[in-house]
Amino acid sequence: MTCERRPYADPYVTGACLGLVLLAAFVITGRGLGASGAFATTAAGLTHAIAPAQAEANPYFARYLAGDGPWRDWLLFEIGGVALGGAVSAWAAGRLRGQIERGPGARSPARLVLGFAGGAVMGLGAVLARGCTSGLALTGGALLSVGAWLFMLAAFAGAYLAAPVLRRVWR
Amino acid sequence: MTPRPWRRWLAGAAALAGALAPFAGSPYRRAGAEHATASATATATTTIDVAELVRVVADQEDHVSAVELAGWIRARLPGLRVIDVRSASEFAAYHIPGAEHVPLERLTATRFGADETVVLYSELGVHGAQAWVFLRALGHRRVVFLRNGLHEWLDDVMSPTLPPDAPVEAEAAFARVAELSRWFGGSPRRLTGGPAAAPAAPRRRGC
Amino acid sequence: MTAPWIDGDTSAAGLAIAVGCGAAFGAALERAGLGSARKLVGQFYGTDLTVLKVMLSAIVVAMLGAFWLGQLGVLDLARVAVPETWLAPQLVGGVVFGAGMAIAGLCPGTSCVAAASGRGDGLAVMLGMFSGVLVTGLAFAPLRALYEATARGPLTLSAWLGVPYGAVVLAVVAIALAGFGIAERIERPA
Repeated sequence: MTCERRPYADPYVTGACLGLVLLAAFVITGRGLGASGAFATTAAGLTHAIAPAQAEANPYFARYLAGDGPWRDWLLFEIGGVALGGAVSAWAAGRLRGQIERGPGARSPARLVLGFAGGAVMGLGAVLARGCTSGLALTGGALLSVGAWLFMLAAFAGAYLAAPVLRRVWR
Repeated sequence: MTPRPWRRWLAGAAALAGALAPFAGSPYRRAGAEHATASATATATTTIDVAELVRVVADQEDHVSAVELAGWIRARLPGLRVIDVRSASEFAAYHIPGAEHVPLERLTATRFGADETVVLYSELGVHGAQAWVFLRALGHRRVVFLRNGLHEWLDDVMSPTLPPDAPVEAEAAFARVAELSRWFGGSPRRLTGGPAAAPAAPRRRGC
Repeated sequence: MTAPWIDGDTSAAGLAIAVGCGAAFGAALERAGLGSARKLVGQFYGTDLTVLKVMLSAIVVAMLGAFWLGQLGVLDLARVAVPETWLAPQLVGGVVFGAGMAIAGLCPGTSCVAAASGRGDGLAVMLGMFSGVLVTGLAFAPLRALYEATARGPLTLSAWLGVPYGAVVLAVVAIALAGFGIAERIERPA
């Protein structure tokens, strides 16, 4: 077990700060945060760039192509901000460095493949649920949305069910 | 700086704010509506211009359709206030998104701005229509009601249907209503409909 | 004027605020260490419950803030968009999502933070996420029935249970504080 002490901030304080950011979003714009929507709008936009007719006929992508188009999307800009904020915070804390973080049970190539696979599975889940932990669980949780709390419980259940199977990878 | 003092402070503040919450009533309230209770008995009698009211009803300017209201809500019409005049438990069970709960007893005491568009609704429309008369009698100008109440909303917005032998114009109208319906999380249906793909839903506030 | 102040979905001001909110969001996640997959999966092995602490703290603070600002009339809570409920797809999608999170070690938001801090695995998860959404979108037809089933609209726990909003707020706070106490106890032996 690694004994390195990383100066991460207290999770409760950080969580409270995150809650204030979410509250600020409610107050200023009347909506909450998110992440998976940015991926969906990007997928819609790229599909439209390659095959416009198919994209517009696709019932899932069509909603992202409506209105101001897929690129002028609040979540897309927000995710850009997430990357920016994450990078600046990492840099300020001296944590900005190239690495492939992995558990002791997987070598780097396997870790990347698992990361990709896990991401793909999350993509499917996020499409069905219309959100992810950032958008649905956090935003909806704070606003007492039934679906958000249901999603949160289901996601934790799914993760806890899958964890033993992946024990060799992570522990 | 140790995190311990922070944690206790945060936990204490959260516990206090949470403990007080059940005693505070509904958080869906307008700024200023609180002060209205002080003048609850002020406007007991008033004069009504009946001819004016009759004209408004005859010109069909007294009510709004559920679909039109849905369009206003989605477009975030400035100054729109949707008022539910039913009981608190009925409101809690389901209400039109964005609606405020103001039962009939409190309605005459509630202050509405001159630039606000007030839409009243009840379960089937009767109390909504009566509330309309009350507010018009008190001098409010921009007030309408939902003619068939919440049931009209549920039928026309949340579950609009298209009959199988509908003409082409009805198809286009249904397409518009269907996209509006989906925006509110409704379920538009074609009755034994054809294989055509449903119209694309508009941009929603996703996660 | 009561909040929300701007309907900022696609106006220039709204998009600028999106970047700002995102930056604060990303910084907070990074500060908490959630850009690290090993730290994140610690949640599911009972060794590091940071995920639970951060999420519930954020939810409690935002929930209390929204509730009390609504009470004070500063925020018009009815105009804040409540994420909608679709019972079946959110249940199924949730379980699937959770499994994917255990495999990847990151969620969509934290994968961006991880990638932004230089982590190659973060980038892999982002690419996987994108691919998953793309393929699911392209092969959407068979999922459509599930996707559109059991819609309940912007339903809150308060409306669904027929319980006053404030009572639900108290219950969530109580559950969160209890959860924190249990989390501290679980982590201590490790």
